[in-house]
Amino acid sequence: MDQILNVLVIGLLLGGIYGLVSIGLNLIFGVIRIINFAQGELVMFGMYGCYWAHVQMGLSPYVSVFIVAPLVGLLGVVIQRVVLQPLQSEPSMQIFATFGLLMMFQNIMLALTGGEAFSVGGSLGTEVISLGDTKVSMVRLITLLATTLITVGLHFFLKRTMLGKAIRAVTQDKRAARVMGIAVERIFLLTFGIGAALAGLAGALLTPIYSITPGIGGNFIMAAFAVVVLGGLGSVWGAYLGGLIVGVVEAFAGFYIDPVLKSAVWFLIFLVVLVVRPAGLLGQVGAEEVGFREQH
Amino acid sequence: MSNIDTNNSPVIESGQSAWIKYFGGMALASLPLALFVDDPNWLNIIAFTYLMGGLASSWNIIGGFGGQHSLGHGVFFGIGAYMTAGLFVNYGWTPWLSMLIAAVTAAAVSALISWPTFRLRGPFFAIATLAFNEVAFVMANHFDSVTGGPRGIMIPFKAGVENMIFKERWQYALLMFGFVAIVVAFSVWLRRSRLGYYLLAVREDEDSARASGIHVLSVKLQGMAISAAFTAIGGALFAMYLRFIDPPTIFNLQDIGVKFFLLSLIGGVGTVAGPLLGAALIVPFENILRVEFADALPGFNLAVLGFLMVLAALFMKRGVVGAIQDLIQRRRNKREPS
Repeated sequence: MDQILNVLVIGLLLGGIYGLVSIGLNLIFGVIRIINFAQGELVMFGMYGCYWAHVQMGLSPYVSVFIVAPLVGLLGVVIQRVVLQPLQSEPSMQIFATFGLLMMFQNIMLALTGGEAFSVGGSLGTEVISLGDTKVSMVRLITLLATTLITVGLHFFLKRTMLGKAIRAVTQDKRAARVMGIAVERIFLLTFGIGAALAGLAGALLTPIYSITPGIGGNFIMAAFAVVVLGGLGSVWGAYLGGLIVGVVEAFAGFYIDPVLKSAVWFLIFLVVLVVRPAGLLGQVGAEEVGFREQH
Repeated sequence: MSNIDTNNSPVIESGQSAWIKYFGGMALASLPLALFVDDPNWLNIIAFTYLMGGLASSWNIIGGFGGQHSLGHGVFFGIGAYMTAGLFVNYGWTPWLSMLIAAVTAAAVSALISWPTFRLRGPFFAIATLAFNEVAFVMANHFDSVTGGPRGIMIPFKAGVENMIFKERWQYALLMFGFVAIVVAFSVWLRRSRLGYYLLAVREDEDSARASGIHVLSVKLQGMAISAAFTAIGGALFAMYLRFIDPPTIFNLQDIGVKFFLLSLIGGVGTVAGPLLGAALIVPFENILRVEFADALPGFNLAVLGFLMVLAALFMKRGVVGAIQDLIQRRRNKREPS
């Protein structure tokens, strides 16, 4: 029983990480209907940013996040404006272009660093606190809490603020939103910016947990796709729930079946969901079809 | 998505003209092999160019003609590589036979995984095929009694035509040339066959194709099966040429899975010549970059490729072939103002 509980806690904490890296992807996916293959690389930029801030200025990732996340967000705005906006109604080209960005970012970082892995030292990464019989890694707990807070925050932003309402209007019907006087392109820029900033934020919070390599984005991006599809396209709480499910499934599969096969298990679940209910658990049925029909 | 012919030339090219172009193109493509027959470094690049040209042309059958931009062709490539290498190392089967078995297997597997994924459109199809590539990677690592797991499979050097292992580089280059010649010949034929037109109809508008009585799913499955079979043969050739395979090499997205898409798109997706042109331009260029910058800037070649992908998506959606067609069109319009 203790063992099961232990694995469950490990899974939930891992789920917090997956949820965190998926929130931004999900927002972009849900609103702009673009799969951003380079999202994992934006997370990587966040991590390197915090690493350099730590080495150069001795800043903790929890401080430098306030500089790094907006910078990554700015990069996102540039990507949306320069690369993706011209490819608005061409899903295949968007996939191709964002995959090109993935290769570019990842390999530029590889060329710059020579492939050396970095990590932010200090005691933070190893601190644990005890909850009953289970020991919990401090930084992972902070990550799960942060994911929860961000999800709640995003929920209220989208439901209560004018800007959030505009974003939701664009998601539901681009043409009607435009008729209502919403500058759709500007909402897209803003959304991609927020999504990218969330990726940068995720990177910052994960800096104490992972050692940083140019290819680290690859560890997250497939998981993030699984989370987004599982939880439901564009649903804020879907990403949270999907993250926790993927994390728990991975932890149990890794513990009871084989650590090598753990990702195959949730991939199969992911494929089944994709085929049986492509809208995901909390997504609107039909969103995956209607959303990609051409809207002008 | 694709161009609409606005010039006055007949929409359907005559069979004779297509085959003349084919033999002309192949003669041109064989020139480098004849010129560099004594230079092992260039022969290596040339062999890879032929192989990648053949693989991109295989991908193009479903990706270009059928418009189904699969990112999961690494699975079929892996089936070809692993089956051929495994049967050769463990049972001494000749690769000439096992690559055909692998081709049939890949076609069957493609039907199995495409049947559920073909109902997905656009990005969802791309993610699903990508996921299959990842599953294959994990499986190849896990079932190490068959695949050697992370250690991979080493193929011993036993020269002989029956083993598909040669002493001279030019022999390999000739083998790869044979592969690309066959795949492109098939593409020329397919492009003008009933199935070819069905695939094009499905690419242009799935709903209209269905309304005109085309069984869309069946057409897609056939296209995918042919494409998968050729890709598996390419994988087999790759394994026998490198004589070492492991999961990170075979299921690599940037070097294998997405590369087929990349080469086709840069050359001109959905055209017969496009994938070949893409390979001829990109593969030597990338190899030179890889060698030149291996120490100073590792990964520089892939960063440049990534940049080219973004540029191609933005400014050259129809690839080199499309750009040439536009140029000819503009010339013609200038000459006979309408």
